[in-house]
Amino acid sequence: MKTTRPCEINMNCADFQDRLPELFETHADLSAEEHLKGCENCTALVRDLEYIAQQAKLLLPIHDPSPTVWDNIREAIRNEPGQNQGGSPPAPSAER
Amino acid sequence: MSAGQTQPKPANQHLRRNPPIVGEAEAIAAAQAGDEKAFETLYALHKRRVYSLCLRMLGNVAAAEDLTQDAFLQLYRKIGTFRGDSAFSTWLHRLAVNVVLMHLRKKGLPQISLEEALEPSQEDGPRKDFGGRDLQLSGSIDRVTLERAIDDLPPGYRLVFVLHDVEGYEHNEIADMLSCSIGNSKSQLHKARMKLRDLLRAGQRKESAV
Repeated sequence: MKTTRPCEINMNCADFQDRLPELFETHADLSAEEHLKGCENCTALVRDLEYIAQQAKLLLPIHDPSPTVWDNIREAIRNEPGQNQGGSPPAPSAER
Repeated sequence: MSAGQTQPKPANQHLRRNPPIVGEAEAIAAAQAGDEKAFETLYALHKRRVYSLCLRMLGNVAAAEDLTQDAFLQLYRKIGTFRGDSAFSTWLHRLAVNVVLMHLRKKGLPQISLEEALEPSQEDGPRKDFGGRDLQLSGSIDRVTLERAIDDLPPGYRLVFVLHDVEGYEHNEIADMLSCSIGNSKSQLHKARMKLRDLLRAGQRKESAV
C-alpha cells in the first residue's frame, strides 16, 4: 500500500530520477516500481511528466503560413539561376 | 515485466504522426525533375509542420514565415540530393532545423551551436526534484499555458521537446536531424520535460500568489 509521506532527500530519489528517462522510453510499468510505492514526491513527478507528454500530443500544428509565403517562394524559385543541385533543371516556367 | 526490460512500443501508445503520405513519392520524383507544380504539392503537404516548428522556435509570425520560406527554398535547391534513406518529412525537418539554428546564431545567439543548444547552461537546466512544497501540478494545464511554457524553454530543450512530444518524431529520427546521439536526444527530452514542469509549477505559484 502506498504511503503518502513526503520522501526524504535521499539517494533513492536521485537514483530513481536518473533511471526515469530510460523507464519512460521503454514504457515500463512505473506503478510496479518499488521506489514509487513509498515516495510521494517521485510519484507526483512521474504523474506530472506523463501529463506533460500527454498534453503535448494535443498541440498539433493548427496554423498555416499566409499565402504570401508560397507566392514569395514561387517567385524566388523562378528567379533561381540554372538548376537545382540534383542536376535537374527547374521547370522552365520563368516567364512572368 | 522488469522495469529495465525493453518492450516494443505498442502502435497506439504514441500516435505516429509521420506516416507515408499518399502521392508524396510521386511528387518528390517530379519535383526532382524540376516540376514546379509537384514542388507546390510538397509545399502544401508540409508547410504547416515546417511553419509550426519555425513558429515554436521563434515565437514570431513574421520571422517564422521568413524561415519557412528559407526552408522551402533550401528544399528546392537540395531536393535532387534526397535519396530516400530517411522519411522525406524527417529530411525536410532537418533542413528546417538547420535554417532555424542558423537564424538563432545570426540573431546574436552565437553560442547556439547545435551541441550547446542541446546542452543549456546549468542555470537554464531543470532541477532534480527531491521534494518540497507543491508536489504536483495542480489542476489541468490549458493549451495556452503549455504553449507559453514551451516558449520559455531553452532553445535546445524546446527543439527536442517539440520534435518528439509535439511532432511525434522518434529519437532515432531526431538524432539524425540534429546530428546527435539517440542517448543525447533521450536525455534532452527528459530534461526538457523536467524544465517544463519547473516552469509550469512556477507559473501556478505566481497565479496563486495574486
